[in-house]
Parts: sequence; C-alpha cells; structure tokens
Amino acid sequence: MILALETSCDDTCAAVVTADGVIRSNVISSQGVHDRYGGVVPEVASRHHLELTGAVVEDALARAGTTLGEVDAIAVTQGPGLVGALLVGVATAKALAAAYALPLVPVDHLHGHVAASFLAPDPLEPPFLILIASGGHTLLARVNDHGWSEGSIELLGRTLDDAAGEAFDKGARLLGLGYPGGAALERLARDGDPHAFAFPSGAKVPRLDVSFSGLKTALLYKVRDLGEEEADRRRADLAASFQHAIVETLARRVEQALAREGGGSGSRSERLSIGGGVAANGPLRERLAQLVPDLHVPARELCTDNAAMIASAARYVAPLPFPSYLGLDAYATGERAL
Amino acid sequence: MRILAFDTATAATAVALALGDGTVATARHDPEPGARPGHASQLLPLVVGLLGEAGIGFAQLDRIAVGVGPGTFTGLRIGVATARGLSQAQDLPLVPVSTLRALALTADEAPAAATDPEEPDAVTLAVLDARRGEAFAAAWARGAAADPALAPLLEPAALTPEALEAAVAALPASPLAIGDGALRFEQQLRAVGARIPADDSPLHRVDAAAHCRLAAVLEPVARDAVLPAYLRLPDAELALRRRDAERP
Ligand SMILES: [Zn+2]
Repeated sequence: MILALETSCDDTCAAVVTADGVIRSNVISSQGVHDRYGGVVPEVASRHHLELTGAVVEDALARAGTTLGEVDAIAVTQGPGLVGALLVGVATAKALAAAYALPLVPVDHLHGHVAASFLAPDPLEPPFLILIASGGHTLLARVNDHGWSEGSIELLGRTLDDAAGEAFDKGARLLGLGYPGGAALERLARDGDPHAFAFPSGAKVPRLDVSFSGLKTALLYKVRDLGEEEADRRRADLAASFQHAIVETLARRVEQALAREGGGSGSRSERLSIGGGVAANGPLRERLAQLVPDLHVPARELCTDNAAMIASAARYVAPLPFPSYLGLDAYATGERAL
Repeated sequence: MRILAFDTATAATAVALALGDGTVATARHDPEPGARPGHASQLLPLVVGLLGEAGIGFAQLDRIAVGVGPGTFTGLRIGVATARGLSQAQDLPLVPVSTLRALALTADEAPAAATDPEEPDAVTLAVLDARRGEAFAAAWARGAAADPALAPLLEPAALTPEALEAAVAALPASPLAIGDGALRFEQQLRAVGARIPADDSPLHRVDAAAHCRLAAVLEPVARDAVLPAYLRLPDAELALRRRDAERP
C-alpha cells in the first residue's frame, strides 16, 4: 500500500493506493481561494497547503481504513509545479516517512498524469498515446511502458506558449466570465455556434506542437471589432467558436500523431488516453472519441490533479530507502528531457 | 523530558535535542553568504543525525518544538510541515516557539551579552531581517523571554525602519539588539541608543537550544493550529486590498 501526497498547484491531495492499483482513498481539497485574485497565487496556495495537509493525510488514511504504520511506502510529487507549494508536500512526506523509516518515492507530476491511466478497475496497458491538457501543461506523448526512465515516455508535441487550460481561462476572462472560467466558458458555448467565427487553430505551428497565444489575441481583436454591445449579444457564439478552436488545435495534433504512429504495424495507433483538467471538456471528449473509438478517459477526479495518480506512478519508480531521501528537494520546472 | 527542536525562520537551519538529563546537543547549517538557505536539504539529515548520536528514535521523544518565526515564508513552512509530519506520525505533542523569543532568551542567558557585567542591559530586542526593507522585531525585559507568563515589551511585528526606530525609542530602556535584523538595521538602531554585539557574535544566530528550554515550559498546541507567524499578508492580498481601497 502506498500513501501519496500531491501539492504542486492549488489542490491539496492525499491518497492510498494498493500495489495492484486499487484506489483505497483519494482525497482532494480544492482551495477555492484564488478566484478573487484572478489566478493561482503561489504564496496563498502554499499557506493553504500547510494548513490542509495534515487533515487531508489523516482523512486519506481513515477512508482507506489503514494507518501510517501499515503503509509500505510514501510517495510525493517532487515537481514540476509551484516550488513553495511542492515543498510543503515534500517536507511533510519526508517527515512521515522518516518517522517510520519508510521508503520514499519522489514522483514527477507529469508521470502522475500518465499513471492515472494505469489505475484499476480499468487500467490501460502501454503502449498508447496520451494527451495531457490542463491549466499547467499541454503535451502529446507516446507511452511505451509504465516507468519514467529514458524511453518510457516519448514526447511528441507540447505547447509553445500557454497551456490549453490557461487558454480557456484567458478566453473566459475576455468574455467576462471570471476565474477560473474554463467550465463557465464550456457552459456558455452550449448556446452558441462553433462556426460563427473562424479562430486560428494553430495550423502553422511546426511538428506536433501547439500554440494558443494567437488564439487569445484573435479573440481580443474580435471582441474589439464587434464593439461592446454586439460582442455582448454574441457571447455564446464567441465562446463556442473559441472553444472549437482549442478543441480543433488539440484534435488535429492527435489525428496527425495517430496517422504517424499507425504507419507501421498499426497496433499502437488505436489507443489514446487523456488526462488533465481540460480532459473534462465535453466537446473535446466527443471530438477525440470520433478519432479513436477506443478512447480511454479516466474518471474526472483522476484527470484533474490528485494523489491517486501519484501513488499509481510510484508503483513503477524505484523507492528511495531510509535515510537516503532526507535531503530531497523539490524542483519547479521539468528537470528531465520531457 | 526529551525534546527535539528546530528552527528554519532565518537562512540557517538550527536543530537541538534535549535529552532530559540536562544535556542539549545541537547541529546547524548556515549557508554561505548569498547562497540559498538549505532548509529542505539540511533539516531532516541534521535531525536524524542528532537522534542517531543520542542513540534514540522519534518514538522515544516526549515533545517536538518548532520555531514559527517570523521569518522567511518558505523556510518556515518547511520547518512547520516537517514538525507537523513528525508529530502526526508519532503522535507527539507539538510546541510552537516564537523565533524572536528564542533569540532573546539566548541573549539573556549568555554571560557575555552585556558589555558591562555590572550593569546588564535591561531590555533585549530581537530583530530579524524581514526583506522589503522591513524588520521583524520584538522586545522583552531582560530575563522575561524565559517566562511565557510575562508579556513582551514590544509585541512581534513587521516594522519599517522608521517604525522600528520609534518602537525602540519608546522602550523603557535602551536595548541590547540581536539577530540578523539588528545587523541589517544597525545604523537606525544605534541612532536610538541600542547596543549591538559584534557582527560575528553568536547572539545574532538562532540557536534551537533555546527552543528546547522554552518548549519545556510552554504548553503543546493542537497540531493543526501550529502555523507560521507570517506577520504579513501575501503580496497579492495586499495589492487587492489597496485596489479595493482606491475604488470610489
Ligand atoms: Zn497537473
């Protein structure tokens, strides 16, 4: 049994997962305090993590019907993310592990998003393609095996600027939907025409990379061109067209990757998994399901940041025995090739 | 009482282990000038090292004491998260200790604290560099820092240099000023009569042995209530409040 902690952004998470990938508990405490600032404030997030971690860990152990003395290892997100926030989780995990001389497993956050697909009851076995899209990351990769060593995961494409979730939030702000606005934008878009306006979907971006900064600018200009009154009247159309552009940007890259990967045996091309908060977006799921009949979609609470995915990844990483991890530090940005 | 104490409010990582027989072992890490603090990488290795030398484990402790600042926010969170984690794992009572009070106590108990042994300083002022050109400061009557029942003469606060000068001038006597903030604001403090030990005096450094002594007389606090004494709101919150205040 693995107890995992995840504090890389604004969700304070702890989970207990068995060696077989069965989730015994998955506790997520969303801070919900950043809306008033219009974005996640690192210092505010870090303060809340410290307040919540103890209770979240206790809750995760209680729901799993276990105690610290019974877990085999402790896993924690080491990076990338907000370093002050990560350090709260890393310090807590190290202390909990040291108290029982347990092994510690440092996990890369992105490995966690991939490993959400390895969880029971419906684990997806590599190889497969994965699209991870959230407020913090946007990448397309080929998963060759469960691990996180060289060659385990091959990066096929990534965003050159904003993450997909960031694009949703910025678009929502331009349409006066507040923060975080991704879900509100999706709701507004239901009443709009996705073809009312033609927004760029990054066709000129090389390889399998994506870019969303031009899209944001295009929406800004469109709102200006229409004038306040007309833009307000056509908000639903603007939202639907904007969302359509994001979905198309991602879907086209997936399509290209599938065609490229499927060139050979064809066997690995048929499976695609998605992760990250944007994976909850309805139109994106529908569009990808058209491309890949066998689309693997983890449960919503496993797509957004959570600790069950960190525990899942930890099953495939060599644990650090006590006391070798006592000096472990967090890292803010990706330190490995991915 | 066996007490493990540590403090990460300043750039230093200070650890102490009181064994209940009167002996206190200490260990510390001080980064090179200008280098990043080593809280994340140094704290637990120092803690486990001290326990190992004493031949005991976490389960043999009676209490954990942690310096709650004020001080660097990230450093404080590493210390408090570590203390809370250890306390949670071993169900150990947890005692939050003011870093400023611990500094003052160290000075009070040091024989060389007063320049004139015949006429010791009547007031101890603990000052830490709060960045942004400000100081975290608090003052106690000499000897009072050791007694939790006695209130400080100056409550811990984040002060501009001007406010610090005014607060010191309002003390009943010229203080002995110690801590990295006493060096940072030496000019202002001397201007209002404070005496400051030499730059290399150990009195300017946080020593977790003082936390052990305080933790022996302070009451433990519910684990989830042990949090850093930030004494300052996050910048984003300050900016928001300023904006709201300017709105007509
Ligand atoms: Zn994430």
